[in-house]
Amino acid sequence: MARIHTLLVSLVVASCTGPAEAPPPVPDDPTPPPPDEPYVPEFAPAEARLHRLTLRQYRNSVRDLLGPVDVPEDLEVDTPLHSFTTVGASNLTIGPRAAEQYEAAARDLAAQVFTPDRREGFVGCAPADAADPCVRAFLERFGGQVFRRPLDVEQLDRWSAVIADVEDRLGSVWAALEMTTAGLLMSPQFLFRVDVGVPEGGRLRYDGYEMAARLSYFLWSSTPDDALLAAAADGTLDSAAGIEREARRLLADPRARDALLAFFSEHLKLERLDTIDKDPALFPQMSPTLGESMRQELLLMIDDIVFERDADLRTIFDTDTTFVNPELARLYQVPASFVGEEFVKVQFAENSPRAGILTSGAFLALNAHATLTSPTLRGRFVRQSLLCQDIPAPPPTVNTTIPAQDPNVGPETLRQRLERLHLAEPTCAGCHNRMDPLGFALEAFDAIGAYRTTDNGIAVDTRGSLDGLPFKDAKGLGGILRERREVAACMAQMTYRYASGHLETRGEVAVLYELADAFEASDFSFTELVVAIVRSDGFRYAGVEQ
Amino acid sequence: MRLKRRTFLRGVLQGTAVSVGLPVLDAMMDRTGRAFADGSVPPKRFVLWFWGNGVRRAHWTPIGEGVDWMPRSEMAPLVADGLRPYVAPVSGFEIKTATHPHHSGMTGMLTGARYHLIGPTRDTIVSTFAQPSIDQVVADHFAADPECVTPYRSLEVGICRFRGTDEGTTFQHLSHNGPNNVNASEYAPIRVYNRLFGMPGDAQIDGARRSVLDAVLGDITSLQGRVGARDRVRLEQHFESVRALEQRLSASAATCTRPDIPNPNYPDVEGNEQIREKNAVMSELVAMALACDLTRVASVLFSTAGAGTRYWMVGAQNSFHQICHDERAGGAEPQPTVHAATIFKMEQLAVFLQRLRATPDGEGNLLDNTLVLGTTELSEGYTHSNDEFPIIMAGRAAGAFNPGRHYRSNNRRNTSDVLLTVLRAMGDMRPSFGTAEGTTTTPIGELLS
Repeated sequence: MARIHTLLVSLVVASCTGPAEAPPPVPDDPTPPPPDEPYVPEFAPAEARLHRLTLRQYRNSVRDLLGPVDVPEDLEVDTPLHSFTTVGASNLTIGPRAAEQYEAAARDLAAQVFTPDRREGFVGCAPADAADPCVRAFLERFGGQVFRRPLDVEQLDRWSAVIADVEDRLGSVWAALEMTTAGLLMSPQFLFRVDVGVPEGGRLRYDGYEMAARLSYFLWSSTPDDALLAAAADGTLDSAAGIEREARRLLADPRARDALLAFFSEHLKLERLDTIDKDPALFPQMSPTLGESMRQELLLMIDDIVFERDADLRTIFDTDTTFVNPELARLYQVPASFVGEEFVKVQFAENSPRAGILTSGAFLALNAHATLTSPTLRGRFVRQSLLCQDIPAPPPTVNTTIPAQDPNVGPETLRQRLERLHLAEPTCAGCHNRMDPLGFALEAFDAIGAYRTTDNGIAVDTRGSLDGLPFKDAKGLGGILRERREVAACMAQMTYRYASGHLETRGEVAVLYELADAFEASDFSFTELVVAIVRSDGFRYAGVEQ
Repeated sequence: MRLKRRTFLRGVLQGTAVSVGLPVLDAMMDRTGRAFADGSVPPKRFVLWFWGNGVRRAHWTPIGEGVDWMPRSEMAPLVADGLRPYVAPVSGFEIKTATHPHHSGMTGMLTGARYHLIGPTRDTIVSTFAQPSIDQVVADHFAADPECVTPYRSLEVGICRFRGTDEGTTFQHLSHNGPNNVNASEYAPIRVYNRLFGMPGDAQIDGARRSVLDAVLGDITSLQGRVGARDRVRLEQHFESVRALEQRLSASAATCTRPDIPNPNYPDVEGNEQIREKNAVMSELVAMALACDLTRVASVLFSTAGAGTRYWMVGAQNSFHQICHDERAGGAEPQPTVHAATIFKMEQLAVFLQRLRATPDGEGNLLDNTLVLGTTELSEGYTHSNDEFPIIMAGRAAGAFNPGRHYRSNNRRNTSDVLLTVLRAMGDMRPSFGTAEGTTTTPIGELLS
């Protein structure tokens, strides 16, 4: 029941007040449930909303709809919110510049499939003019794929009129179909994933077509295929069992790997490896490709655990197996033989300081400064992203400057400086006590993730504790995180947030408990967590607008 | 209309001169080169130029007031090489809606209003703009005149690649139409180029496009009837966006010849971002767009709020935001790297202003007919303060703005006064601007003529 505390902590405004040596906020397992078990609000689904396609979803969708095409690069960047592009996409609208970019992209894409050698195959016939019945058949078929549901009469009339009008203007039915293809790709029915729901027992149930798109955009980052649309049409997706059957089919498709790895990439903020800035003078190993290599490594590691082996997802905290290319092998000082620049699977020796994501270059370099490590940033990431615990920002009045070396104090490690400055100062210690000690475990790794035994000429000290549980180094911290039930619950919570495209509401806390339980019951299989999410009432129902 | 002569401006890329053709628009001028061929006077333009995370106050606020003023070191690049008569520093103003340093400063300075909070807070505030940013307010004013429909309502470019943290659109974007409705800046010069000069117009095709866009508008309207209140607002904005695109189809196509294509890539050199080079080419592209009357409003997001850029060229070893917090050297100046980085940024703004000044426009140059507002989201990175706000105005706005002087407020005037001044200079005579504590009815009369 410790889990319940954890989840609630993340849904209320965080606070770090209290004595510097605050007791752990969550009792350690296995302790009996506290007598004053918190009240869990009754399940109330979140309101339905329009989800603008993210860039990844847009690109995948047009490729699945049109076949092989070069997707124009000139499209608006995603705006991630609460860690995820999917949450941002449920808030943002389409501004004037984006509308212009979508139009240009749609025309470019349509032109690619209406080349003389390709258009007949794409349309399915060679129409004589706009009145040819095959034109209507194309509009119904392709329009239904683009809108992810059959066009209604009004839409069919509207777009049929466009075909006739453009044929008049340009004197060519091919040109009319090309423009119409582009037009459908600019419609809000395509650019937004429309969720409305149908009334059912005082709330709204996402209908079959909406469920089809909810599934395909979560599991494939793309549009539903014909089989999924057929499952929507025949009522399969009106039941949890039918949803599960289709979800398992989608999960078996290679597209699911890329789409779900994208979730991990956003959650672990791996996109930022594109722009990490490290001082080249201090870190000669830093190269223009090293950030990308680090990202690849983590994605390969997660792919191996989740998809190759369907192993316990918590293995990411203590696995001794990873994937390296030559520059990562040099950074990690791990022996490996390569053919070219390909990644190979390697196993760290038992006495290696490395295991799991905490000691990966990606995590260590992302959560550090350009010249220095940052126990605070590393600890903050563990608290916020792995434990789903919030740490408030420093209040505006606090001077967050870390003073330079004090000549009266003599040489210090960064840890010693932080202990003197952050942890001895009551106004700082409240929060920093929850972050910095976790980061101290990683002080044996510099700002790009290379192993070191000293800092500023003094031996590093990696000992510490997480909420009362002692560790002696990074591997020890990884082992603790693996076993913490809050960590698994947090994984479920983050996956649910990504899937649903909004920050969890109070009414959804009950769903989060169920998902954490289901995840545990499946021995922490990520794919089973995904199935539990799509079956859950939180994913299937919407609330009526207040 | 065909233009025969082109002047080539130079953007330097890694030591190699890259020619970027800037059409000087002789065809648009009469034979004396003074006015447009149709006898009209050149239009007014507005540019918002933004840099993140403030200045070093001690080196910023000018000495003396009115026309007798001296710049301190961080403003010195802005008065060099003949720019002084074009520049008007504005000092002593503060954000009246301050509750959070970065977020309040950004929205207060650019909209005269508080930020709009998105959902519950996490470790910090996640926000968006509640109101349109000043560049879009000006664009609205211009768009209201049916005589001046330009092919692009506004142009948004970005220079430093750091995109901002995930604290909402406030931290990632500059130009806003309203809440969660952004005009994202374009960071690749080649894409700016392609947008402006890539696609020649065709009346027949444009007719077909209009037909398609009408159907898209029809789809939006039908969908609006099915969704909740919040999504109806989002769809209204989408509708406005598509309608604006449709209206632009009737605007005259670009009258400029296609300039040479700028180099599309500015790869890092030895791990270092090539900021100076990107700024030079983007400055040229914006100047071209304004000179060709492809748009009359532009915004330059030099660096985002919070500013994660590392100014390696002045020896910075960490992001600007970080060094603002961390740097505390001995000696007279405790933040020498922050100071040097700020000077570097003002040099880049000076490059932009000089580019406008070097571009002929009507009887004078483009800076004569433009008003540039240069600002940031807090006054000083070290303290994250919202008073003594850094503001630079430049240009003459076709005679409506009166630069060459330092205007100082000794009673902490509202930064919204600056925005109302911009609007008056652009010919928008509304009596007030801003919301709640940000509201003002008093432009800076001394700077208007």
